[in-house]
Amino acid sequence: MDTLESEYEALLQFLYLAPVGIVQTALDGSIAMINPLSAQLLMPLSRDGTLDNLFDALEQVAPELRNLVGQFPQAHGTVCDSLRVQLSAGIPGKKDARMLSLTVLKLDDSRLMAVISDITQAVKRERQLKQSEAWFSAVLTGITDYALMSLDPSGRIESWNQSIARVTGHSERSVIGRPISLFHPPGAITSDRIADRLVEADANGWSLDNGWCMRADGSRFWANTMIAPLSRDDDLPEEERGYALIIRDITDKREAGDSLLRASACDYLTGIANRRTFFEAAELELERWRRFPRPLSVVVIDADFFKQINDSWGHPAGDEVLRNLAQTLSATVREIDVVARLGGEEFAALLPSTDLEGALKLAERFRTAVEGQQVMVGGQEIRYTVSVGVASMDSQVSGMDQLLKLADSALYAAKKAGRNRVWHKRADHVLAGLEDGTAWG
Amino acid sequence: MTLPAHHAFAQPGLLPLLTSASPEALDSLDFGLIGFDADGTVRQYNAFESRAAGLSPQRVLGQSLFTHVAPCMNNFMVAQRFEDAADAGSTLDDTIDYVLTLRMRPVKVKLRLLSDPAQAMRYVLIQRAL
Repeated sequence: MDTLESEYEALLQFLYLAPVGIVQTALDGSIAMINPLSAQLLMPLSRDGTLDNLFDALEQVAPELRNLVGQFPQAHGTVCDSLRVQLSAGIPGKKDARMLSLTVLKLDDSRLMAVISDITQAVKRERQLKQSEAWFSAVLTGITDYALMSLDPSGRIESWNQSIARVTGHSERSVIGRPISLFHPPGAITSDRIADRLVEADANGWSLDNGWCMRADGSRFWANTMIAPLSRDDDLPEEERGYALIIRDITDKREAGDSLLRASACDYLTGIANRRTFFEAAELELERWRRFPRPLSVVVIDADFFKQINDSWGHPAGDEVLRNLAQTLSATVREIDVVARLGGEEFAALLPSTDLEGALKLAERFRTAVEGQQVMVGGQEIRYTVSVGVASMDSQVSGMDQLLKLADSALYAAKKAGRNRVWHKRADHVLAGLEDGTAWG
Repeated sequence: MTLPAHHAFAQPGLLPLLTSASPEALDSLDFGLIGFDADGTVRQYNAFESRAAGLSPQRVLGQSLFTHVAPCMNNFMVAQRFEDAADAGSTLDDTIDYVLTLRMRPVKVKLRLLSDPAQAMRYVLIQRAL
């Protein structure tokens, strides 16, 4: 008996000390057993201070989980394997963006087992590695795909060769002396972004980007573009510095890796960026802001009375409303802007080179667009509205977490003032204790 | 100084009383108590907590609280509060709602966090939510 008791105690302690989180739940997510590391990782996420349901605890950061389990067809098996869940934006150079890894196994028709671990450090190392790999792959593969050209210190095209005609369809006359935005669809790049990429190339030795490019005839192709300084001599006077630009058409490769990439970068329901992709983009944009402060705004959006929509029309209708919201938002912003579903019915847009006034105008345009349309679900017309919170980056805002907090509190104020409206918060006003304004106040 | 038989979880000015209480007095409390030093090493572990967690004191005493005994508290809601209070040289006496994983079951509790720069020992008191 003594042995059994002490073995039980040893087993208990083994589970107490396990350096990964282990949770067993019912199929609806209600927690049956949970070890301490899970509580360490999940308690800060819990909105109501309980750990009764795993899906509820993760709703704000991994809204897809409930759905993944619900749609899992097999009697048992792996529902998700090392799904990445981003918790915070982090502060570049000071605080790492926090990231969890989540694996969920369906054991049988009544039990799930989840394994949770903190992969913040691993992700950081992996990102550095990915950067160097991208560099080698860009240099070593498929030389024939390239358009290669030299750029002057301000990023204008300086030289001509046939590779440019082959990849972009442009002629010498139409490219020399023009900025490289020529190769991008309207709204896909700004002059600020070009300047950023030149600075990043100087600082890191290269600047890599994947995105849409445009040929002379207006057709688009998915491209990998790399800008590298021609000389790494820092003593060189600025007017003698130049860059090489390589544009590579990777449309084929994109289609091959597309579904995988989309699954990890996009929200399963709406198809727009997910929380993690949003924070990655936000972190990069914030690094740029720190180097050269210039307008940068975020818009946070919440569908009004969403619970009532779900309750009175059913969850499929709620899903349709969220999809419609995502589409309307995507149609309102420029291509360079990042729109994402952050969780639940909360959405956000990151707007580079956009000041508070510009962000407010966009938010108002979006709000009226939503108000003026209806969603058709099963022959029924549903109307809904949105509340929007807007905030802009300035020197008093410490980072993306705080900027989002400002936008969130503006959103809260918009809700409190009666919903279907746009509010904003300014860091200097909040610090000075001034009341924040309505959109046009 | 001896501790009266029934000290209340929420009683004010509890910290100096706990520091000098006998192990028997701590064992008579009707809430869990973990006392630890500035390094985070557990020095006191009462009978109530031992029963609730299913661990005997000898498995816990001398171990590091936030990494080896109660990793569930190793976040900004609990562990960080003690560090922040120590860094600021201020006293800490705060009660928060929390969930512990006693015998792997999620259990709602109230945690009272106690520390004082003038005292060598710090405490987490654990009361099952009613």
